[in-house]
Amino acid sequence: MNKVNLHIAPRLAAPGVAVIEIAGEVNSFAENALMDAYMVASGQGARSIVLDFSGLKYMNSSGIGLLVTLLIRASRQNQRLLACGLSDHYRQIFELTRLNEAITLYSTEAEALQAAGA
Amino acid sequence: MDTGDPSTQQDGQKGWQTLAVFSLPSLAGNERQAMVLVEQAVDPLCLPVEKLDRLKTAVAEATMNAIEHGNRHQADLPVTICVLTEGNRMSVEITDYGTCGPIPAPETPDVEAKLDGRQTSRGWGFFLIEKMVDALEIHGDEAHHTIKLYLYLEGRADQDLADCSGSHE
Repeated sequence: MNKVNLHIAPRLAAPGVAVIEIAGEVNSFAENALMDAYMVASGQGARSIVLDFSGLKYMNSSGIGLLVTLLIRASRQNQRLLACGLSDHYRQIFELTRLNEAITLYSTEAEALQAAGA
Repeated sequence: MDTGDPSTQQDGQKGWQTLAVFSLPSLAGNERQAMVLVEQAVDPLCLPVEKLDRLKTAVAEATMNAIEHGNRHQADLPVTICVLTEGNRMSVEITDYGTCGPIPAPETPDVEAKLDGRQTSRGWGFFLIEKMVDALEIHGDEAHHTIKLYLYLEGRADQDLADCSGSHE
């Protein structure tokens, strides 16, 4: 079984607002790709970063741990994380873990971008 | 260690029907294979999508724990998974070769504590398992660890379980 089944694409959606599209599997093998995408977004001057999970196929507890690490890094840089495109199941997991209190959830990228001030 | 409804713990394996038994090598990523095989095994039960998603997440997390903590990534040590049903409930039993005896209750993760560094960012696995299933049991001895995951089927106890594939809600 392929251990890395993930495509992550960061892009600047508006001045100060980046979108990181996450497609595939977010597990322990996703760390480098996710953190690299975060560095690219930060390097573009993003103050708000939207994590677009529309293409998410699978996320496990290691992936949740990566998001916590990402939150810590973003917090140190006074950046805001938002998320969109989560399925009902993963939205429930965000709520159970209370990640939704630190990463505000939106249904669509457009809603998240509007909230981010793009 | 037992959590959840004690009614699941009264009759052992009596009356349980085995839907599938399989073993996987202890290789990182094989929890995805476990999810696929369990999903196939429970297809006759016609679980609603929401419940099936919860079961798959619990199975994946429990299998990861078995691979990482029980079998310590030794590929030659299998993780054995048994899928059973009885009346209006089903169970998935996941067994590894952990030899640490009874498993202590893990620390409850707290996102605020993780964000301010009082807890590590990891440690969500058992928490997720507990939240995804209706009940669970953990058994350990000198040779094995087994976690038993239970889900109630809600209203399917007296129904014919055959011929309902593809009718997920």
